[in-house]
Amino acid sequence: MGKNHPKVDDYVVSRVRALESLLLEKGLLAPDAVDRVVRRYEASTGPMIGARAVARAWRDAAYRARLLQQPTAALADLGVRYDRLVVVENTPAVHNLVVCTLCSCYPWDVMGLPPTWYKAPAYRSRAVSEPRAVLAEFGLVVPQEREVHVWDSSAELRYMVMPMLPPGAQDLSEDELASRITREALIGVAEVTLPARAG
Amino acid sequence: MRVLKGADVEQVIRKSGGARVHVELPAKFKAGDRVVARNLHPLGHTRLPRYARGRRGVIDRDHGVFIFPDTHAAGTGQKPQHVYAVRFDARELWGEAAEPRQFVYLDLWESYLDPA
Repeated sequence: MGKNHPKVDDYVVSRVRALESLLLEKGLLAPDAVDRVVRRYEASTGPMIGARAVARAWRDAAYRARLLQQPTAALADLGVRYDRLVVVENTPAVHNLVVCTLCSCYPWDVMGLPPTWYKAPAYRSRAVSEPRAVLAEFGLVVPQEREVHVWDSSAELRYMVMPMLPPGAQDLSEDELASRITREALIGVAEVTLPARAG
Repeated sequence: MRVLKGADVEQVIRKSGGARVHVELPAKFKAGDRVVARNLHPLGHTRLPRYARGRRGVIDRDHGVFIFPDTHAAGTGQKPQHVYAVRFDARELWGEAAEPRQFVYLDLWESYLDPA
């Protein structure tokens, strides 16, 4: 597992191709539909949307409260129509992690398409059973005193982590902050860091 | 039989209502209630993970009313009901060797839950 894209199981690839062929053959799927859906989510959405929301929340206490308590309205403020997001807040006491053990549910509309490792059985099973070990493999060590909350997206709600504002961020603009927020931080397998200042 | 065509993708996605049902239904549970996930092993579709069956947790929040996938997928009705985020202590799920101070929050339909 880990940060680099693992090779997708040949069995999974073959099975997906077989299913797609069958659906096309039976006329249940139009040939260009899958491409259009993928392109729509690849081109017009991505983690920059979630990053913008988090950066604004960091800079604006009222927006922060809105994003946590009324996420649909908060996203609408950014021109995004998405009614099933729940935002969970990292604090010094709690670190949050998101997974879908049953399949690979992911908040596409605010985070784009999920990374391959997120969809792999290893992450899906271990994130709920040994999250600290998984996080350590991603390079994130959560101290024992902090609780780890794992959100399993088993129903229609989709989860996004609001990471903590990194130390030393006071001088950065909202845009600069947004550019530092990765999808890994929004999933919960990384924290947001700032580049080291030149001495 | 409706087939999704490439040209319709954008419009269908925009209009997609998802599984939320906008009806007022009484909620059987509220935040703070202790519950136990039923030990169900249906042959067909379900969204109750094996690791939670028979396990005790606490209602964290009520997400509102949604279509029930177990019956909807089988063509036996939408059976809209409340869905709750239920908090499980890792030790309840994985035993005493579980990582310390770990909790799993799982979204569960009301039909999966009994009061504990």
